[in-house]
Amino acid sequence: MASVQIHDVRKSFGGFEVLHGVSVPIEDGQFVVLVGPSGCGKSTLLRMLAGLEKITSGTISIGDRVVNDVQPKERDIAMVFQNYALYPHMTVAQNMGFSLKLRGADKSEIDQKVNRAADILDLRRLLERFPRQLSGGQRQRVAMGRAIVRDPQVFLFDEPLSNLDAKLRVAMRAEIKELHQRLKTTTVYVTHDQIEAMTMADKIVVMQDGIVEQMGAPLELYDRPENKFVAGFIGSPAMNFLEGTLKVNGGQPWVETANGAKLPITAAPAAGNDKAVTYGIRPEHLEFADDGIEAEVVVVEPMGSETQVVARIGTQDIIAIFRDRRPVAPGDKIHLRPRANSAHLFDKETGKRVN
Amino acid sequence: MAAMLAERAPLPRFFSRGALALVLGLYTIYTLGPFLWLATMSVRTTAEISADHYAWPKVFHWEQFRIAWVDSDFATYFWNSTIVVVGAVAVVTLLGAAAAHALARYRFRGNRLVYGILFSSIIFPPQITLISLYQILVDYNLYNSLLGLTLVYVSLQLPLTIYLLEGFFARIPQDLFDAAKIDGYGDLEIFRRIVLPIGMPAIATTLILNFIQLWNEFLFAVVLITDPDKRTLPVGIRAFMGDHFQDIGMIATGVMISVIPVIIVYVFFSEKLIRGMTAGAIK
Repeated sequence: MASVQIHDVRKSFGGFEVLHGVSVPIEDGQFVVLVGPSGCGKSTLLRMLAGLEKITSGTISIGDRVVNDVQPKERDIAMVFQNYALYPHMTVAQNMGFSLKLRGADKSEIDQKVNRAADILDLRRLLERFPRQLSGGQRQRVAMGRAIVRDPQVFLFDEPLSNLDAKLRVAMRAEIKELHQRLKTTTVYVTHDQIEAMTMADKIVVMQDGIVEQMGAPLELYDRPENKFVAGFIGSPAMNFLEGTLKVNGGQPWVETANGAKLPITAAPAAGNDKAVTYGIRPEHLEFADDGIEAEVVVVEPMGSETQVVARIGTQDIIAIFRDRRPVAPGDKIHLRPRANSAHLFDKETGKRVN
Repeated sequence: MAAMLAERAPLPRFFSRGALALVLGLYTIYTLGPFLWLATMSVRTTAEISADHYAWPKVFHWEQFRIAWVDSDFATYFWNSTIVVVGAVAVVTLLGAAAAHALARYRFRGNRLVYGILFSSIIFPPQITLISLYQILVDYNLYNSLLGLTLVYVSLQLPLTIYLLEGFFARIPQDLFDAAKIDGYGDLEIFRRIVLPIGMPAIATTLILNFIQLWNEFLFAVVLITDPDKRTLPVGIRAFMGDHFQDIGMIATGVMISVIPVIIVYVFFSEKLIRGMTAGAIK
């Protein structure tokens, strides 16, 4: 196990820069998730960590060693790929023991390590099968087994669950998390799915357009996003955004939308009166209240445990989630009040948090 | 009602099955017929064949095979064909696979240009190159030599081979190569231990196609080889066709001899051929 330091790393393809100086410190044993929309550079960063892409500038260290010019096989890492990348002409056992064989390990050692990994992942009875005879979930487990067998300093996962169906994805998510808790190996995990990021990570790194937007513990990002992008990216359904201007009258501040709705906030931010802001409120922080903002119900989605209501305020649609079951129907007029202490304010122009 | 339906349902299926069998049967006779006819002729003398084209052999003249093999130099032709075709196919397969892998996997300047030039050479009929190839072989003292013919065969089959294999290799997921790199393979080992085994169905397909194509190749062989003892089988068979007299019996025997290796190669690789053809369907 080892810590990983990514320091001011840049990457250009031809003259086109795709990573603009990314720094991510990763502690020993931490589970770090790189998340962001496709094209944000997260996979490129992971591939640079693995040694599959050259580093244009900056340094990457694993443990105390700078690995910029170290071959992938000598970095003491193991990687799990989106397409599993199992060798189709080898059995499960051969796939798992392959890297050890290349390193010149003797057969008894290979067998012992393969069996140990197979026990961890419940693959014992599949060892003699070929990858084509396995289901998607089984293949993913073999890919993980192959990584475990190497007993590496760092595990790298590149969107490992995106080829699985929804149900299996949830199951494998828990399995990977449990595996990490058991092995405590430093892990870097790439995904575009913010739910995976939220549920698995010790630390989330949100990326967009080749820069790190924010990093921190999952709930830290959820509760206090530093900018509008992170606020909209983390959380499902996504945070509601309403455009308005900041008003302060005496001690009582609020945000006023174009159609005159008054959105409550607790304290006036440093930004002055009449500043154009984006008001962010998560769906679960909207309540029914007679003195709330009038909205028209557009769609009602009962999920059983909760009800999602899409409602229209003026011309903007917002989503609200309620734990109790309310007899609302499309076309109904309802009154919603955002919880003032859960409101997020962002500068309309820069998108930066202002409260 | 349900019972009636149950009774009636198998009928159309029976008919469609029957129709299918009929069509397949007719097609088999259509394709196999000439071959069987040729096989019967190969054990009949030319005189017998002239008397009755389609008769079943009364006496099986197996000695015709010995005569063709020993007296008519078929052993030499067969040996020449084997050297040239096996040599050419081996080189084409290895070189073609390596080139296809490079074109499919490596980003380098001019990759698509090379591919485009190779592909464009498939479009032109081979006859166009015949005269220039003749001249080149004469210049390099390769005219009328088996080595020269082998090289020509390599150049003839290489573009199509690269084209077919590139398409197959490009579909091997990049992840597999990345995994191999992390496992500790170098570029050459990746080619030898990953690309070749995984690409085997496609490689076997091109191998069969190239083998059949070259084994039966006549035009270049007849132009570029003059010595009787350097003839390949298709040219050797041609020797039985005189201007006035054609030794049909011996031609049939020669053709039978020349067909046998094709069948052997096909049977040996055909399972892989079919898998290669359906490779897209299985992931």
